[in-house]
Amino acid sequence: MARIYAIGGGKGGSGKSFLAANFGALFARQGHNTVLVDLDLGGANLHSLLGLRQVKKGLNSYLNKSVSDLSAVAVPTEIPNLHLISSVDCSLEIGNLFYAQKVKIIHAIHRLPFDTVLIDLGAGSTYNVLDFFLSAHEGIFVFTPEPTSIQNTVQFIKAVYLRRVKQILKHYAFSNVVKELAGESEAGLVRSPLDIVDRVMIKDPDRGKLLEKELRKLAFKLVLNQYRKHIDETLGNKIEKVCNRHFYAGFQFLGNIAYDERVHNSVLAKTLFVNKYPYTPTSTDLKQVSEMMLKNAGKTPSAIGKYGEV
Amino acid sequence: MERSENLNYYELLEIPVNASSFEVRQAYRSVLSIYEEDSMISDAFFTDEERNAILRRIEEAFSTLIDKSQRAAYNKELTAAGIIDASLLEKGKRKSKGPIPLFSLKKTGGQESLFARVKSLIEKKDFTEVSEEILSKNLISGKDLERLRKHVGIAVDEIFEVTRISMKVLTAIESDDVASLPQTFYLKNFLKAYAELFKLDSGKVIGGYLENIARLNNNR
Repeated sequence: MARIYAIGGGKGGSGKSFLAANFGALFARQGHNTVLVDLDLGGANLHSLLGLRQVKKGLNSYLNKSVSDLSAVAVPTEIPNLHLISSVDCSLEIGNLFYAQKVKIIHAIHRLPFDTVLIDLGAGSTYNVLDFFLSAHEGIFVFTPEPTSIQNTVQFIKAVYLRRVKQILKHYAFSNVVKELAGESEAGLVRSPLDIVDRVMIKDPDRGKLLEKELRKLAFKLVLNQYRKHIDETLGNKIEKVCNRHFYAGFQFLGNIAYDERVHNSVLAKTLFVNKYPYTPTSTDLKQVSEMMLKNAGKTPSAIGKYGEV
Repeated sequence: MERSENLNYYELLEIPVNASSFEVRQAYRSVLSIYEEDSMISDAFFTDEERNAILRRIEEAFSTLIDKSQRAAYNKELTAAGIIDASLLEKGKRKSKGPIPLFSLKKTGGQESLFARVKSLIEKKDFTEVSEEILSKNLISGKDLERLRKHVGIAVDEIFEVTRISMKVLTAIESDDVASLPQTFYLKNFLKAYAELFKLDSGKVIGGYLENIARLNNNR
C-alpha cells in the first residue's frame, strides 16, 4: 500500500505546491515510485511546476467514469519514477465536491499502486480540504515566517483538529455531547476545538479519556518555508512546542526551507528547483526535510482519519 | 493539551526543580518570547484573554522562583502536596551555573591549555631511558617515534594540535609509509619539529630516520 503524505495549511503562496513537487522529485530520485495528486480543486497548477504544458487526462476522467481506475490517469513526468494526477481537466465548479465523490477519491488514492503519494492541497479550510488532509498517513503543515501565514496555518491546524474531534465523537456515538455543546454556544458559532475537548473531559471523564487516546494517535509535521536569515531560528521549534502543549496531538517540526530568489526563476522556467539548482541551501534543506519524512515512514503505519480503515 | 493553570511553575517554565536562578531567568525569557504580545506565535493561537491569563501565570512563576524565600515556601507547598520529591531538591543540587565570561583563560579545550598539557607531560615525565635507547640506534623508524610518544602518553592528534603537522603526515611518519611521506626537504622540518617537541637531538633523529627510509626503499 502506498504511503500518503498530505501537504496543506498556510495561506496561498506559502509554497505548498512547490514543496509537494520538489519532495516528489526527491522521493523519486531515492527510487520511490511516486505520484503527485493535485487536489487543489479549482486551482490546479501542479502540472505547470513540473513542466507539463497540457494534461489530457486527470481526475475528471476518473470521476466521470471514463476510466475505472485512478492509476490510469497518472501521467509520467520528465523525472523518472515521478507521476502526476492532475485535476486541471475538472470543471470550474469542482471546488464544491459532492460528499460521495470525495469519499470515492479518498478510497481511490488509498488503492493507488505507488510507493509514495503526495497530495497537494489548496488553501482554506473547507471540509474537502480537511478530509483529504486527514485521510493521509502523514499531514504536513506548511507555514512561512510571517504573522499572517502563521495565523492562517494555526487556524487550519485548529480546523483539522476540530474535524477529527468531531469524527471521533461521532464514531463513538458521542454526538449527544456535541449537540449539547453546540446548543450552549450561539447558533452556528463553533467553539474552539480546545474548548470542546475540555468540556467533554469535565462532563464525561471516561469518554474524555477515550477522546484523548484517539487524539494522541494524530501525528502532524510542520515545515517552515521561505525561511530568511534574520529570523529567529527557533521559530519552528517554538511553534512545535506550543502545538504540543495546547493540543493533545503530536507535532514534529521537520525543518526550515531557506528562501531563494531563484525559486521564481525555476517556476518561470517550468523546471523543478531541486533539478535546476541542486547545490543551493534551499535544495539542501529540501533534501534534509524529505529524508526526515522518509525516515519517519515506518513509525505510524495507520492513516490518520476515519478513511484510513478502508 | 495542558492548561497553564494545571502546570506547576517549574513545568510552566520547563526547568528542573533544582534549576539555578540563572536558568530560571533564561527559561522565563524564552517562554516570554513565545507568549508575549508582539510574538508572531501567540497571536495565531490565543485570544487576548487567553494570552493574558498565560502571561499572568508566567509572571507569577518567575517572580516566585526568582525570589529565594518565596521559592523555598513554594517548594515546601509542592513537597507537602506530593507533587515534587523533596530528594530532588536536595540531592540534585548542582553548582549554580553562572554566566560564562567572554574571555576565560581557564577555558578547556582551547589551544592554549592543550599546548600546556602536552608541554607539562613532556616536562614531568622522565623518558630519558626510552629516548636514549632510540637515539643510540643507527636506524630510527616511525615505530620508535610512536613508541616514545605513547610512552609519554600523548595522542597523535595532540601532536597535530601542538605542531600543526597534518595528521596525514604524522601517521605516514609513524607508520614508515614511504609512499605517503612528503618530500625530503619538508620531511626534515617535520621530523625536526617532532624531535624538538620531545627534546631529542633533531640531527640524530633526522639522520636515523632518513637512513631507515633509504633502507626500506632499497628493500622494495
